[in-house]
Amino acid sequence: MTKLRTTDLTVHFMGLVAVNKVSFSMDEGEILGIIGPNGAGKTTFINLVSGIIMPSEGKVEYKGRDITYMAAHERARLGIARTYQLIHPLENLSLIENVMVGSIFARGNSLRAARRKASEVCAELGLQDLDRDTSRLTILEIKKMEIAKALANEPEVLFLDEVMAGLNVDETKDLIATVQLVARERALAVGVVEHVMGVIRELTHRVIVLEAGELIAQGPYEEVSRNPRVVQAYLGGAA
Amino acid sequence: MNRNLARILAALAGAVMVTLPALAGAYPLQVARNIMLYMALAVTWDMLLRSGQISFGIAGLFGLGAYASILAVLRAGMPALLSIPFAALLSGVVALIIGFLILRLRAMYFSIVTLALAEIFRIVIQNLVDFTGGPEGVIMKGRIFGGSDSGIYWLTLCGLFVALGASYWFEKSKIHFALTAIRNNEVSARTSGVDIFRWLLLAFVVTSTIQGFLGGIYVQSYGFATPDSVFSADFTLLPLAMALLGGIHSTVGPILGAVLLGLASEYLKLQIPYGHLVVYGIIIIIVILFMPQGLLGLFRKATRGGKGRAS
Repeated sequence: MTKLRTTDLTVHFMGLVAVNKVSFSMDEGEILGIIGPNGAGKTTFINLVSGIIMPSEGKVEYKGRDITYMAAHERARLGIARTYQLIHPLENLSLIENVMVGSIFARGNSLRAARRKASEVCAELGLQDLDRDTSRLTILEIKKMEIAKALANEPEVLFLDEVMAGLNVDETKDLIATVQLVARERALAVGVVEHVMGVIRELTHRVIVLEAGELIAQGPYEEVSRNPRVVQAYLGGAA
Repeated sequence: MNRNLARILAALAGAVMVTLPALAGAYPLQVARNIMLYMALAVTWDMLLRSGQISFGIAGLFGLGAYASILAVLRAGMPALLSIPFAALLSGVVALIIGFLILRLRAMYFSIVTLALAEIFRIVIQNLVDFTGGPEGVIMKGRIFGGSDSGIYWLTLCGLFVALGASYWFEKSKIHFALTAIRNNEVSARTSGVDIFRWLLLAFVVTSTIQGFLGGIYVQSYGFATPDSVFSADFTLLPLAMALLGGIHSTVGPILGAVLLGLASEYLKLQIPYGHLVVYGIIIIIVILFMPQGLLGLFRKATRGGKGRAS
């Protein structure tokens, strides 16, 4: 079943076209890689879909419903969640309280119910000692907390914006397994932005490639990685 | 143990507050009232600050409440005691209307506009001479409760409890999560389903309502209002200094700061009349430079550091 679909999604900032007529769809249970060189518009694309910025043209549909201009907090309630490249733990809140926010506001749970749900999500991700201050977390724990925060929305569509960045090989393996687990358990549609191609190869069922705001290729990673246009986009010049 | 200590201190403070009118004379009661009033204002300022919005408009909503209360009594014959909740209501409604306009602003733009609004309220009231008495202000025939010091003390204590109760509610409910999320990062708050405008409006209206309530209590305690007295910058700056000194983003911080600065200013007023404001300025500068989290922050750092080494 198609969870999310965009049609000719476009945004320009002044004269710059950051995302240009991107049409794509994501199905239930699918892990989709979103790749492309720096400045290709990957994060902008996620911002458009999650409602952080509004498009200039085109359409976004969630489970068949037009949400193109819906406010971000309403999309969160519908079932779209995401993480951020730059992570912002909430100061003065403990690990579990950080995770509770999405459960309280996206799901409308009471504090007590939110605490229970948040501790379930944390347990699933292997996070322990939940009353810790966030300044005491390891980098892997911070990344997991960021994912837990998104999962607290109880989403059906999840975008992960470079969650693997800064992790070593073992930590990356751990997090890949974690993402696969939670995605499978919830039949999530997951969009993954990542620069490490090993992660994309291992994690995703399919990838889309953006270059200068345009979708230039899509398909399984092995196929796309041999696509001459994609190689050219990454290496530059006339390949 | 920390929590027990806090409970004992709170019980002790409560006992002192309740027995004070029976034991103390008029002057200590007046000092206590002053401190309680500023403490309540400091707490309301901090409540909005928890969302990251810095208001410089306390005096505006306080003064508005003061005038609403005294004019309701003088022009409409409302009972003095009833005029105080009326003042709260009026400040709240005004905050609701201006909130829709100004809560789209952030950081210093919000701060400057709140400062300007306070000044606009003052100028409007000063110029509606027929209704408000203009620059000379208005005076009532007598004070509330026939000017009884203990009656006015209880009334002020009631104002303080309203502010503390609201602050406690802010700390223990969803509001705490909403405001903290907004303060930390609005974009990520939205992604977690937080309807930012709604929570900012709630915080702004609640704090403004209490500020109007306190303005009503203040004006009924003294029985007169002039634009310069009830819109005095003191009502913005002193609470701000108290909250900063004690420690922001908490209920305890402003309480601590109000007691310390309140007593200090009373002492300094006697030693160097008018000089106490200079000392206030110096305190604000020192706090901002050397302990942005206030005394409470220093205390937390000390205890947390201890815990860290132990584990």
